Order: sequence, then C-alpha cells, then structure tokens
Amino acid sequence: MSDRYTQNERERAIDELIADAQRRETPLPESVEPSGKKKSGIFRRYKIKDVVFLAIITAMTLITGSVMPLLIHIPVFGIIQLGLGLQFSLFPVIGMMKVRKPGALVLMSLFSGVLLVFMFPPMFFCLLICAVLAEALTLAVFRGYDRDAACVLAGTVYMPLTLPFLAVYYRFLYDWSDGANEAVSQLVGARPLTAIPISLTVIALCLCGALLGRLITNELKKAGRLKQ
Amino acid sequence: MSFFRWKPRLYPIVAILASVFILIFGIVCARMPGFPYFLAGLLVWLTLFGCGRACLRVLPAALIVGGIFSSLAYVSSGRDAASALAMANRFGALFLALVPGMSVEPVAMTRSLSALHTPRAVTLGMLIVMSFLPVLRAEIGRVREAMKTRGAGSPLRPRIFYRAFLIPLVTRLVDISDTLALSIETRGFTLGKAKYTVYKKEWIRISDILFAAGLAAGAVLVVLW
Repeated sequence: MSDRYTQNERERAIDELIADAQRRETPLPESVEPSGKKKSGIFRRYKIKDVVFLAIITAMTLITGSVMPLLIHIPVFGIIQLGLGLQFSLFPVIGMMKVRKPGALVLMSLFSGVLLVFMFPPMFFCLLICAVLAEALTLAVFRGYDRDAACVLAGTVYMPLTLPFLAVYYRFLYDWSDGANEAVSQLVGARPLTAIPISLTVIALCLCGALLGRLITNELKKAGRLKQ
Repeated sequence: MSFFRWKPRLYPIVAILASVFILIFGIVCARMPGFPYFLAGLLVWLTLFGCGRACLRVLPAALIVGGIFSSLAYVSSGRDAASALAMANRFGALFLALVPGMSVEPVAMTRSLSALHTPRAVTLGMLIVMSFLPVLRAEIGRVREAMKTRGAGSPLRPRIFYRAFLIPLVTRLVDISDTLALSIETRGFTLGKAKYTVYKKEWIRISDILFAAGLAAGAVLVVLW
C-alpha cells in the first residue's frame, strides 16, 4: 500500500491536515457568529451572562438609591437627581463597560421598573425615556460602545435628562392638586438662576460617578476580573 | 372554576396597578378631608387580601418617617396643621403603596409576565432584581465587615471608600453574576425563540377584582366627601 504514494504526496497530505486542524482551532472573529452569519456593526445579540450582569448591577443601583421614596416628597427642584445622581451614573457605566452593547442602559431601566413602579412610578417612565434618549445620543456620536468615552457620555447624561421631565411632572401635579408646594414652579419658572446651578451640579455629580465607574472597570479589567 | 376560588394573594399585575394608583392618588388628594379615613380603610382592605404581614412591616417606618416630615412641614409652613396632615397623608400613601409590591413573590411576577409573553430577557432580569436585593444587601454588610476586620479606616475618606469598599464590592458583583449566569445556562435556559411552558400559570381571580373595586370605591368616596 505504501508504494502507491510518493514521499512528496505524503508530506503534502500531512501539511494539509495540520493546516485544516489549525483552521478549526482558530476562533471566529468578533464580527462573525458561529452560524457563519455576519453580525451587524452596532447591534449585537445579548447573552445570558450580559442580562444577568445588568440585572445584578441594577439591583445594586436600586439598593444604593433606596432613599428615592423619601426624596420625592421634598418639593425642591432637582433633589432626586442630587440624591441619586452618583449611584445612577456609577453603576450603569460599569454595566455598559462590561457588556458594551447598545440597549444595555434601556435594559437596566426596564429591570429597575420592577421596583420603581412601587417606589415612584413617574421616575420609571422618566428613566426609560431618558435611557432611550441617552443611548440614541451616544450611538449618534460614537456609533457604538467600543470606546470608554461612549459609556461615560451615556452614564453622564442619563440622570440629568430626567430633570426637565420630572419638573414638568411636578409642575402639573402641584398646579393640579393645590399649589401648596410652589418651590418647583418658582425654581424652574420664575427663578432660572436657581435651577441652572442645580442642573449644573447634577451634571457634575453624574460626570464624577461615570468617571469613577470607568476607573473601577478599568482597574478590574487590568486585574483580569472583568471579561466581556 | 379557579376564577371563583378565594385566594388571599394578589395577582402581580393588579398589585402593580394598585401601587401606582395609591401613590398617585395619595400625592394628588392628600389635602382632602376624607383622606385619612381612606388610608385607614386601605390598611384594613390590604390586610383582608393577604398583605397583613407587609402592612405590619411598613407601619413603624411609616410612623417614624411620616412623623419627621410632618413635623418639618408644620414648622416650615408657619405652624399650619393642614400642611402637616397633608404631608402625613402623602407618606401614609407612599408606604401603603409599597405593601402590594412587598406581598408579590418574584416567581409569581415572572410567571404572570411570561404568561403575557414578555420577552424572556426582561422577565429574567426582573426576577433577578427582585430576588437578589437581600443577597446584595448582605454582601454590602460583608464588605463593610471586612473593612472593619482589616482596620481599613473610615469609609468617609474617598480613597479608603474607593479602595476598600467599592473595588471589593464590584468584584463580588462580577463573581456573583458569573456564577449565576453559569448556573442558569446549565439548567437549559436560553434567550432565543425556543418554545417554553409556564409552570403554574397565574391568573386573575374574583378576589383581585373585588380588591380593585374596593380600592376604586374608597377613592370615589374620598373625592365625594
């Protein structure tokens, strides 16, 4: 049998076998799914580990933001955002930097809804709308979450975007109920000089939270504890 | 026939809607004279529908927090008793709005959402958020204990807070989520369009309709007072 194949043919066959084995062992590039279909540029499918991590991060955000029910009754413009800005920017940035897929912020807002509807329902709807807006803005600017700056931007604008929505809600509520708590309308309408510094403080607070989240994530990545 | 069977546990979606209604109604109608009676009636009504234990759990917090904020409202409004009462009413409504939610089991919520064909990624996330709150709270306690044991210093100092609290906490979150994801995947859970069945479906019952009708009747009585 061995006489039927020359030495060169044997060597070629061995080389082809090795090349084939190497081809099989080489992992598929990021943009190709195991089925062979090419993934779209921005949107990628969520895995179970992504959903679980986002849910755990949301639970931690809600635990640290459990003062919200007490803050909603204080009729001062921006008090909720001042109380929750740090937590609602730090943890979402960690979630987005781990998952790095569009829709992570919207998913976190949806998950938080399960508790927010009992704590303060308008805040849930506000957060959901603001998550969509923040993601749209980030995707328009960065076209994805591959860069850290994209996650920081989304985390920074997420909470400050709720300021106008909640201000409209409070104005409607107090105008409609009895007008006893006029602090909101005074701050937003008659005294913009007070509303502007509060809004800037909220933005600065959220930026600090987002940068802290980025710092933590990068540190954990360096230590090899955080993998995508 | 299960529709007519009395079940002292609220259907999750009814509980959510009831919470939203109580909170919004409480904020809007807190100054109405009949509102304290509405709150008292609501307390009895919730107890009748299987939320008695949750009511007992929130009452002390409601009395303390409501008392503090009512006192502040009384002082800040120039000793106006009506303002203090309105503030107490708002906090009463706030804490009673939490009761239906506290009495809903996470798994019942997931089953009812699954029966309504909510995407599985959303129901899974919501289930984890509801179930893991006590676990994560305990984890915060453990990280604090570890800080004390190591003699890390005051957590009020930013550098110590970052290094000795935030980093270990986030590391633990990553570990917990990895373990949980692996556990879910090994039990055959998928996020795709695979067929699935809902074990023990949750359905709306006559007791839920009675509960909602009672709540609405109470609200109408307060408005007409």
